[in-house]
Amino acid sequence: MRRKLRRLTTGLAALAASLRPLMEMNDFPTAERFMQKYYKELTPEEMQKVLQRIEGEVESQYGIRPHVRDYKPMDGVEFVYCLNLTRCIGCRKCVHACVAENNQSRTPEIQYIRVLKMPQGTFDLDKAEHNYRPESVPEKGFFYMPVQCQQCKNPPCVKVCPVHATWQETDGVTVIDYDWCIGCRYCEAACPYWARRFNFTKPSIPKERLNPNMSYLGNRPRRQGVMEKCHFCVQRTRAGRYPACLEVCPAGARKFGNILDPNSEVSYILKTKRVFIQLKEEMGTSPRFFYYFDA
Amino acid sequence: MITSLRQGIRNYFVFLWRCARVAFVGDWRYQAWMGGLAVVCLLGLNAYCKQFARGLVVTGMSDQVSWGVYIANFTFLVGVAAAAVMMVIPAYIYRNEELHDLVIFGELLAVAAIIMCLAFVTVDLGRPDRFWHLIPGIGQFNFPASMLSWDVIVLNGYLVLNVYICGYLLYCRYRKQKPSKWFYIPFVFIAIVWAVSIHTVTAFLYVGLGGRPFWNSSIVGPRFLASAFTAGPALIILALQVVRRVTASAPGEEISRLRERALAPSVRPSRAATLADLDALELRLPEMKSVPRESRAKALAGATVIAVNEGDILLRQGDTDNAAFFVLSGRVVVKREESGRLRITRNIGPGEQFGEISTLAGTPRAATAIAEEQAVLLRLTAASLRELMKTPAVNKIVHSRMSERLMITDRALMTLRGIVQVSMLINVFLLVNEVFKEFYSGNLHVISSKYLFFGLEGHHALVPWIWTAVAFNLVAMFLLVLPVSRSLKWLNVTCVLAIVGIWIEKGMGLVLPGFTPSPLGEVVEYTPTLNETLVCFGIWALGLLCYTVFLRMAVPILQGRISKANEGQSAEQLLGSVPAIPAIHANATHN
Repeated sequence: MRRKLRRLTTGLAALAASLRPLMEMNDFPTAERFMQKYYKELTPEEMQKVLQRIEGEVESQYGIRPHVRDYKPMDGVEFVYCLNLTRCIGCRKCVHACVAENNQSRTPEIQYIRVLKMPQGTFDLDKAEHNYRPESVPEKGFFYMPVQCQQCKNPPCVKVCPVHATWQETDGVTVIDYDWCIGCRYCEAACPYWARRFNFTKPSIPKERLNPNMSYLGNRPRRQGVMEKCHFCVQRTRAGRYPACLEVCPAGARKFGNILDPNSEVSYILKTKRVFIQLKEEMGTSPRFFYYFDA
Repeated sequence: MITSLRQGIRNYFVFLWRCARVAFVGDWRYQAWMGGLAVVCLLGLNAYCKQFARGLVVTGMSDQVSWGVYIANFTFLVGVAAAAVMMVIPAYIYRNEELHDLVIFGELLAVAAIIMCLAFVTVDLGRPDRFWHLIPGIGQFNFPASMLSWDVIVLNGYLVLNVYICGYLLYCRYRKQKPSKWFYIPFVFIAIVWAVSIHTVTAFLYVGLGGRPFWNSSIVGPRFLASAFTAGPALIILALQVVRRVTASAPGEEISRLRERALAPSVRPSRAATLADLDALELRLPEMKSVPRESRAKALAGATVIAVNEGDILLRQGDTDNAAFFVLSGRVVVKREESGRLRITRNIGPGEQFGEISTLAGTPRAATAIAEEQAVLLRLTAASLRELMKTPAVNKIVHSRMSERLMITDRALMTLRGIVQVSMLINVFLLVNEVFKEFYSGNLHVISSKYLFFGLEGHHALVPWIWTAVAFNLVAMFLLVLPVSRSLKWLNVTCVLAIVGIWIEKGMGLVLPGFTPSPLGEVVEYTPTLNETLVCFGIWALGLLCYTVFLRMAVPILQGRISKANEGQSAEQLLGSVPAIPAIHANATHN
């Protein structure tokens, strides 16, 4: 009997020792967060409570009271992005503006936009250079192609998500409920544009760099273990502003607008340009992101 | 009604409790094996807790290669689980008797493999605390659009199916009842279709991704099945031999002693049987009630009753004498010589028969029967037994008990070898198809295959692995085709080569090149970290632990050592009673 008891205590002690690393966790999900409902099932009142809770959580972590809103798509709007490959100089200012606007993790680095340096005369992505670091851009013999979420009309990422944590909204933006994602990364495998990013650990943002204008489906700080990606800056564009990447572009290569409005700039571009490119058109994803040339 | 229900529930819980107890009983080797596995499990758990706290950053995965060894192992093990049940096909459809006895080992392996699969997908999740989002009805289940939701259904369904089938068959054996066909045969056939579906769905998980040309190929599904039917039965061939070895109760020298001794019926006193003896049998075998008087009288013509002592040999493996026995009182153990060792195949109590198969078929004895204690036996000639079996009830019970034994014959292993052989040939053929299409056409999509087989831009991590796999698979294929693999030693080498080859090819060789280069043409290599590897070892140890426990419970039940009849005795007593057998050589000098 005593031997059995000793065995049992040794076993329990070994179990406790192996569970020790859990002690270093400081944000175990609270009951409230654990039980939080799916975005589409929250009533407006429940949504208000959740938004307030998030504001409190951000404040306690960063010391700044943010303004978190649930920006809804506007009626009669379908967003489209056009990017002028003749103008892009590969300066990556869009990448940094995006990181700042969307509260992306600085360590480890998460960026939604990847600028590819392509040798002139080819569109083979396998020839792209990702980590170019020249003295100055543009370089002779190359063109630059920024790639971010293409906001497909037929998004493979939405199809494969086992829990509906990502979906396409009426304005064409594919969004993610960060509080519903289970982190299986199937969408990341499905995306033909490598547009999705995973929080492999707790994201870290310097306090002074936090953008306090936040949206639920957009740029509020994410947690460890969930997906994120470009959402056309819903906290800006659904309030009538341009995306951060467009505003910062020094070359005027980026154009954004409502394709349902015949007088919008994007409607004009798609009507008048003889050639424009949907990346990997053969995938049948039908992107809302168009690349075009001046001439 | 209520009381019988309560009694039924009580019986079932006693069964579960006794099974649980058995898992803790064993000699020092068993204890050391289980202890070792438990330690590895805990190391894995510790590594997983680190990952849970710090995130998947402790693995080697990145945004470029977003799945790694977890999903690779998952994919391999789904195949093992699917193939394990495929033993059912020769057993039930082609009525291969020798495999029939072993189907349960395949199903238990499937259960252990599915447990490992579920563990591997769980550790791969970034937010395991949100698993409930996946539960249909409670969470948001993206069915049927997401192949992952299909996988959730088929894997869990498969687990339930196999647990049910194994549990039902073992419980029936425990109660010494004949399993009712309606309660399990339909499920066995569902399980066959389901087995194909789990692996097809897992293949579709990859095939359905248009953005990954390396996976987006219709041959992946058939290749998955072919490689699964190679690796799965290969694993069972090895597992069965382990079971055969560790459940062997006596070393080889005891076999020669057994051979030297005279058979008890020739040296013990016997007398002609009377109607009173048949009445005595009827008390233990109620089916005898329906045997008519005249039939009884005819059967008595060739019947004798003998009293035997502990350790007496009643019939001997390989002999061609033909008489069947019913036990009137006492206990008899049946042992079979397999690969130079003796192993218990059955334990027989009052009212049960032995020696009937060889008697009816006129074949040599398949095993040796030894009296475990003083016993009284009814000895019947073939004609007498046939007479009794003219009564349908007796015929039915005798036939159903024929299958109540645990034999792992070399013939059964060779049947499995046949499956491995054909599957390996198909597997290599499909691989050749894939390689041809990729390299001959020379379009840009060949780049992932180039990375896998030859390396890309100075990145060669997978090259040594895949060539090892190719070499192992080819060597295994040639060994399987050659007659040399009919010897168990070479067959085992072949199986190990096939399993390792397929594990590499299907795990790392399938998952990683799909991510390399990334859809934007970036080549990032993946190497599993120590922490990730420990988690994998932990899950494999968990799977082995589960399978060992399942076998530990199933084997004594299949042998008849643990049954409802001996409910009062503890597992230690029953399993520890094996030393009672050396009484064979204790009174080796017969009188």
